[in-house]
Amino acid sequence: MKFGLALNVNETTLEVQAKSQQAERCGLDYVWISDRPSQRHAPVVASAAASTTDHIRIGLGLISPFLHTPQQIASSLTTLIESYGARFDLCIGPGDREELHKVGVDLDNIHHIPSRLLSSKEEISEILRKRKLETKIWLGAQGPKLLKTASSFDGVLLNYSSPEMVQWALETIQEAKGSVPELVGVFAPSYIYRDLNPEIHKILRYASATVALGASDAVLEKFSLLKSLEPARRELQKRPLDKSILELIPSHVIDKFSIFKRQDELPQYIEQLKRLGVRHIVFSYPQSYSAKTTEELSEALTNQGCAR
Amino acid sequence: MNLSVGLTTSFSIEKIKWITERADALGFYGVWVGEDIGKPQEIFTATSLVLLGTRKAKIGIGVTSPVIRNITTVARASVALDEISPGRFRLGLGVGGIQDLASIGIQIRKPTELMRRTVGLLRTIWTNKTLPLNDDAIHIRDYRPHFKSSKEIPVFMGVRGPKLLALAAEIADGVILSGPKQYIEEAIKLILERREALQLPRSKFCFVVWNPTILLLDRSDLELAKKVVAVVAGDTPDAVLKIAGIEKSDIETVRNDVAEHGVEKASENIPDRLLDQFCISGEANQICDIFRGYSKLGVDEAVFGPPFGRDSRNAIQKMAQAWRST
Repeated sequence: MKFGLALNVNETTLEVQAKSQQAERCGLDYVWISDRPSQRHAPVVASAAASTTDHIRIGLGLISPFLHTPQQIASSLTTLIESYGARFDLCIGPGDREELHKVGVDLDNIHHIPSRLLSSKEEISEILRKRKLETKIWLGAQGPKLLKTASSFDGVLLNYSSPEMVQWALETIQEAKGSVPELVGVFAPSYIYRDLNPEIHKILRYASATVALGASDAVLEKFSLLKSLEPARRELQKRPLDKSILELIPSHVIDKFSIFKRQDELPQYIEQLKRLGVRHIVFSYPQSYSAKTTEELSEALTNQGCAR
Repeated sequence: MNLSVGLTTSFSIEKIKWITERADALGFYGVWVGEDIGKPQEIFTATSLVLLGTRKAKIGIGVTSPVIRNITTVARASVALDEISPGRFRLGLGVGGIQDLASIGIQIRKPTELMRRTVGLLRTIWTNKTLPLNDDAIHIRDYRPHFKSSKEIPVFMGVRGPKLLALAAEIADGVILSGPKQYIEEAIKLILERREALQLPRSKFCFVVWNPTILLLDRSDLELAKKVVAVVAGDTPDAVLKIAGIEKSDIETVRNDVAEHGVEKASENIPDRLLDQFCISGEANQICDIFRGYSKLGVDEAVFGPPFGRDSRNAIQKMAQAWRST
C-alpha cells in the first residue's frame, strides 16, 4: 500500500515546496499536486517541490487534457523527469466541469469524453515512450462511463472514500473489460487526527461537499444520494458554496466522499480498502493544512501499524 | 547596457542546467527562455528550473504565445514562477512565429487586439482587482483565481509590426526586438515617439535585443550562421523587411530554397549581405562591440545566442569573459 498527501495549490509555491519536504521527511510515498484553472500551474509547483526533495514520488493531477494539449502535458513531464528523475506520475481526467466552463472549456460540448481521454493518454504515453521516459498514467474517475475505460490506464484514482462505492467501481471496471488496472487508488478529502481541530473539520466538510455536489449523477443515483443532494445543488446554482448550502447536505453523504478518522481508526479502514484491492490512498486537503496535520497522518500510518 | 543569455525549449535538459548553473557566476544580467512550439521541454517548467537554479539573474520567458494555451494557464504559471523568487521573473509574450503557428493550423486575425486584451486580462487576474472576472471575447466567465501576484510581474512583448510595436510602447514594460539593425533602430524610434506622445517615461521601459548570435572561431563556423539565416529570414514578416530595406525577392529566394531543398542546401546560397542582417557573428570582442553599438540606439539589454557557436559552452564562457573585460 502506498500513501500520498494531496497538497493545496491555493497555497504559494514556496508553501507547497515546504510541505513536500515535510511529507518526504514523514515517510509518505507521494505528494499529489492538482491542476485546476483557478489554482497555480501544477508542473511549475511540482518542479519547485522536486527541487527540494529527494525521493518522494510526485503526482501531477488531476490534469485535464481538455485544458492542456497532450503534447503540452507530455512536455511538462519530459522536463520534470529529465531534470529530477523518474519519480513523477500523471493523473488525467475531464476536470471540474464548472471551473473549466469559467475559462472557456465547455465539457458539455465535448463528445465521447472517455474515448478522448483514452486517446490523450495514448498520445502522452507515445511521446514519452519515444523519449525513453517512464511514468505511470492514472485515470481520475467516478462515474460508470469513465470507469469502463480505466483498465486501459496504469491506474485508477477513485474520487470517493466509501468502501461500498469503491467495491462497486471495481466491479464496474471488471465487468467492462474483464480486468482492473494494476493500480487502484482512493483520492478523498481527509482529516486523520490526534487532537480534533473543529476548524479543520469544517474545512473537510466543505471539501467533501464540493466533491459530492460535483459527483456523477449515475453514482449518486446508484447509491441513493441524488435526492439528498438536490436541495443543495439547487441553491448552488444561485450562489457559491456557503454554510447554509453545506447544512442542506446530510452527514452520511459527506462521509462517503471523505476520510475523517481518529488515528486509531485508520488501520481498520485501510485494511477494508486493501481487501477490495486498493493499493494507493491519497489523503487530500485539509490533511495537508499544517505541519501538525501532516504529522498526525504520518503518526497514524506508522504508530498504528498501518500495513503497507 | 546589460548582457543576458538566451536558451530555448529545444535545448536538452543538460544544456539548460549547464547554463543555469553558471549564469550567475558568469555575470549574466538575465536568462531568457524562448518557446519553440512543439519541442521537448515545456516553457513554464523549463523556466522554473532556471529560476530555481539561479539566485541573482533576472529570468524571463522570451517569448510564449497566448494563442496556443488558455490565458489562465499563462496567468497561474507566471504567478507560480514569480513566487519561486519574487522580483526576478519577467514574462515575454508574442503572437507566435508565422511558421510555428501555421504548423499547428492557427491563424491570427487581429493580433493587436488580441495582445491588448491578453495583457490587460493577465494583469487583472494577477492583481485580483475585479472579481469575478469576465471577458466574453476570451470566454472567461465568472472566473475567481485562488492566487495573486505579490507585486507586478513585468510584461515584455516580443513583437514586430508597427501596430504591435506601438501597442508595446503603450502597455508593456519592455520589448524584445529581433531583426536587422536598421529595423531595430526604426522600432526603437517608433516606440519612443509613441511613449512620448502618451507621456510615458522612457526610464520605465526596457529595450531588449535578441538575435541569433554565433561566436566564430574559423571560417567554417559561417556555415552554421548561414543555416540560422535560412531559418530566421524565412520567418521575418514583410513589414520588417521593408523597414530594414531588404529586398523581398532576396527572402523569397531563401524561402523557396528552404521549401524545396531544406535548410542545409538553402544555406549554401545565402548571400553575405543577408548574413549580417539576420545574425550577429564574429569573435567575442567583435560581438561585444556590436552589442554596444545597439546601446547607442537605446537598447538596454542584449541577449547572447543561441546557437552561440559550434561549441556552445565554450562560446558562452568566452562571451561572458569578453563582456566583463571590455
